[in-house]
Amino acid sequence: MIIANIKSVLSKTDWLIIIISTLLTISGILFVYSSGINASGVLVSDEYLKQIFWAIISFLLLISFLLVKQKLVFEYSFIIYVFFIILLFYTLVFGRVVNGSRSWIGVGSFGIQPSEFAKISTIIFLSKYLSSTIHEAGSFRRFVISGLIVLLPFILIAMQPDFGTAIVFIPLYLFIAFFLKINLKYLYFLVGLAATIILFILLPLWQNLALEKPIDILRIFYETPFVIYVYILGTVIMLLSLLGYFYFKKKYYFWIFSSAVIFIIGLGVANLISGLLKDYQMMRLIVFFDPHIDEHGSGWHILQSLTAIGSGGLTGKGFLLGTHSHYRYLPTQSTDFIFSIISEELGFLGAGIIIFAYFILVIRLFIIMNRTRDYFSLGMVSGISGLLVFHFVVNVGMTIGIMPITGIPLWFLSYGGSALVAINIGLGCALSAGARRFEIERN
Amino acid sequence: MISLIDRPKKIFYILFIFSIFITYLGYLFYLQAIKTGDFAIRAIITSRRVEVLPSQRGEIFDRNFDVPLAINNDSFALLVIPAEIPSELKETVFSKLAQAIGISIDEIRRKIPPSYYRLYQSIEIATGISPEVVFSIAERIDEFPGVSWLSRPKRNYLESGSFSHIIGYVGEITSDELKVLYNHGYQAGDIIGKAGIEYQYDLLLRGADGKQYKTVDARGRKINITPFDVTPPQMGSNVVLTIDRNLQVLAEKALGQRIGSITVLKPATGEILALASWPSFDANQLTARGGNNYFANLLSDQRTPLINRAIQSHYPPASTIKMVMTTAIIEEKVINPEETILCAGEISLGDRIFRCWIRKPGHGRLNLQEALAQSCDVYFWEVGNNRLGIERIVSYYRDFGLGTPTGIDLRGEASGFVPTPQWKERRFNERWSSGDTLNISIGQGYLLVTPLQAANMLAMIVNDGIIYKPHLLHEVRSYQNNEVVSVIEPEILLQSRISNDAFRQTRENLRSVLVSGTARYPVNTRVVEIAGKTGTAEVGLTDRWHSWFIGYAPYNYEHIEDVIIVCAMIEAANEWEWWAPYATNIIFQGYFGNQTFEEAVRRLGLTRQVTPSTERIE
Repeated sequence: MIIANIKSVLSKTDWLIIIISTLLTISGILFVYSSGINASGVLVSDEYLKQIFWAIISFLLLISFLLVKQKLVFEYSFIIYVFFIILLFYTLVFGRVVNGSRSWIGVGSFGIQPSEFAKISTIIFLSKYLSSTIHEAGSFRRFVISGLIVLLPFILIAMQPDFGTAIVFIPLYLFIAFFLKINLKYLYFLVGLAATIILFILLPLWQNLALEKPIDILRIFYETPFVIYVYILGTVIMLLSLLGYFYFKKKYYFWIFSSAVIFIIGLGVANLISGLLKDYQMMRLIVFFDPHIDEHGSGWHILQSLTAIGSGGLTGKGFLLGTHSHYRYLPTQSTDFIFSIISEELGFLGAGIIIFAYFILVIRLFIIMNRTRDYFSLGMVSGISGLLVFHFVVNVGMTIGIMPITGIPLWFLSYGGSALVAINIGLGCALSAGARRFEIERN
Repeated sequence: MISLIDRPKKIFYILFIFSIFITYLGYLFYLQAIKTGDFAIRAIITSRRVEVLPSQRGEIFDRNFDVPLAINNDSFALLVIPAEIPSELKETVFSKLAQAIGISIDEIRRKIPPSYYRLYQSIEIATGISPEVVFSIAERIDEFPGVSWLSRPKRNYLESGSFSHIIGYVGEITSDELKVLYNHGYQAGDIIGKAGIEYQYDLLLRGADGKQYKTVDARGRKINITPFDVTPPQMGSNVVLTIDRNLQVLAEKALGQRIGSITVLKPATGEILALASWPSFDANQLTARGGNNYFANLLSDQRTPLINRAIQSHYPPASTIKMVMTTAIIEEKVINPEETILCAGEISLGDRIFRCWIRKPGHGRLNLQEALAQSCDVYFWEVGNNRLGIERIVSYYRDFGLGTPTGIDLRGEASGFVPTPQWKERRFNERWSSGDTLNISIGQGYLLVTPLQAANMLAMIVNDGIIYKPHLLHEVRSYQNNEVVSVIEPEILLQSRISNDAFRQTRENLRSVLVSGTARYPVNTRVVEIAGKTGTAEVGLTDRWHSWFIGYAPYNYEHIEDVIIVCAMIEAANEWEWWAPYATNIIFQGYFGNQTFEEAVRRLGLTRQVTPSTERIE
């Protein structure tokens, strides 16, 4: 039987999560509506109607996935994962180009973004793999395979190219791996690597723009003859420490070895990415330091968003009364910058409530994680939490100017059917895991 | 209850989540509660656009205040907001625009480089666009997204030719001018007077631009139709000149194509009625497209058409100075006016021989009146050198305003020069000789006067010792209703203590120049009685001289207000015609006979001597 015991499930469901997510979705519709109103008070967009349609669909899907037997999801997780990997391939070849990325498939105005669904399918399959291999928790093999599971969709999406969406897979992995007992050393390694990459990408920008004077020592990391010596030196240190580790079995050789690897790979990848980044992407990073550098270009978004939010004040300008949004100073205001409109029209009170609602969602999800009895459920819920937290941090951070601009939507609020549907499917799975915490579904 | 999550991981996770949400909530509070004031202001500023309400430059009229001399024509500047042109349409719009306004597409590309494509600011791509072109663009505005225009009236000079030296012209302010004038409210891109009245009274003429604020959306489209914070423009004042258009045209034609100048002024007030200088230029060509080329041509022209010869050139006054000498001789009583001196055609001084212009056998015996009428050099040499002396001569010349600018309201006036023994010693390290005194007594040597100063010499005599400051501004009128705002009152420039009797006698003697003297035949008009003095200045050429005539009429005036002074000065560069007295004759004939130039010339029988003036377009 596909459907579980409805009565039992509904009674054990965390309704608070459903209520909050529904309220957030309704707020989203209201402000998508608001964003479609131009300066003369005329509605110029029917996005809100589409959003209502998607909201209803996604609510039904949420309930469906809440009711569907979790075992079913568990068993089909590999097929689901493979299906979306194939879909990503298909998208890469036959997809529709929107905003410079080949990320859409579908006909007419009703398209979907497979990458949004791939997030959920990856969470499910990763959870399955890691929960099945929990007996060899700290093994290197487990770390590598789980990493590959995530790396595959990451690369396919990055090739669209949609870096913003691809990057989401990193926190997704870290959250699940953290709770499903991947050896913490490997995670430190990953986090250290990511931090090193970001550091080496940002250092020259910071030097040029914030410091406004060259630091000679930085040249050895970026200019051709020196950087090669640096690579050679790093490799030598790495090999020596590796030898030392095998001969003397001393712990600190291992740490030196790891640091050297992180350094070499980090610097290499950073230089590679800096070379690959398009001008506009570089500019987005630059204006992150100082939006005034390109006030009418890339810095425009940040400045206008900050202005909209700041001018909202404590109580806001009132629903549909925001000037900055309706005068169209905010770009992509129904998707990326929906939080700016909310903050402008509802002020700190409204925006604070929104932030608090996300906080409650994350906490309620953590309660489910804390209570669940099987690692598959734990993995799914932590993956969903990771997505939620990351989307919140990056999107809201971007609107208030503490994160660089990436086209990552804000869950429930931003306009966009695929994201909304995918989120609700994921949330349905999470809720389902919570409602069945006493069912014994070991395998 | 057993949990699958270790205690340290739980604590780490909870702290992690808390720190994120508290940071975000705190930063949002900082933006919306603490810094909100700054952003509220910025939100208003961002969506506020200032719109300049251009003021109209005042018009310029002649004293009759009927038809203006300088007006403003409708003209437009074309603006483009690059970000409003969809990127795929940029090339199409550019080429259509280039076609519509008749400039090359490369010029548009140069003004809007690709780095501007996302700019929401308007960029000026062309000025001086006619209303017809703007209308044709406006009709097809759908094909020109992001294109707008701004009224930028173009100065149009209805009178050109000799008027150009008086009125001057306008142009865009240069960065050097801006440095000086910034504190007077000038801004980059302003149109500013560059010469003449346009320069002199720029502050009166220009008025002040107004401005208003409008709320606009991100694309610069107006949202609030009602503007706020409106500062209305102050229109420039209309300026009425002392120039009499008919007299100016008469003077211009009387001068014809001869290098020189004619000055007509009213001694009772110092008003300039006409001020013609040839060669002149066309102010409209200077302000039109390609005006820079024209300006370069004018600068390189050997005949210096940009120089207003009536005030910016100085010459030896020659015999015209004898009117000042006559006044001095009578006032100082150095010789009985009836006493005669023998002119044998030359005198010798040391080893040098000074020849009277008539050469041997000379004028014979002459008293003062006859000497002035015949312009006898020997008489003035004798009296000047032996009786007056250089100190008194210099003192009288200075009393008559020589060597000092008159302060006319035009820029670049020359001051002329009165030499002194001290100056000569300093300058050449040479003693002042009697020969120098002889030269200066007949207006030669180092003595230099501008034609305007020369006219002023006679004004002193006509006015019984007062020279009014020569001026061109008659009155200022408001732009809207032409009400008189202010009238320029005559201002005394110089006042001498010479007796009225000396002036009266001098005038009688000047009359004899016309009745029985040198100007008897050339200045033969019957419509009015004239008094005056000829002058023929040596410039080192054997067959050419500077030709002067300074005269006033009516000779026996009842009201000084009726009197005009004409000073004609024809440079030696022209073919020798002795034209100055003839030109003066034409002007008096035309002015007092109320005739046009052509009528006056016909009446005076001078038709064959008159050269057509090519620069006057009628």
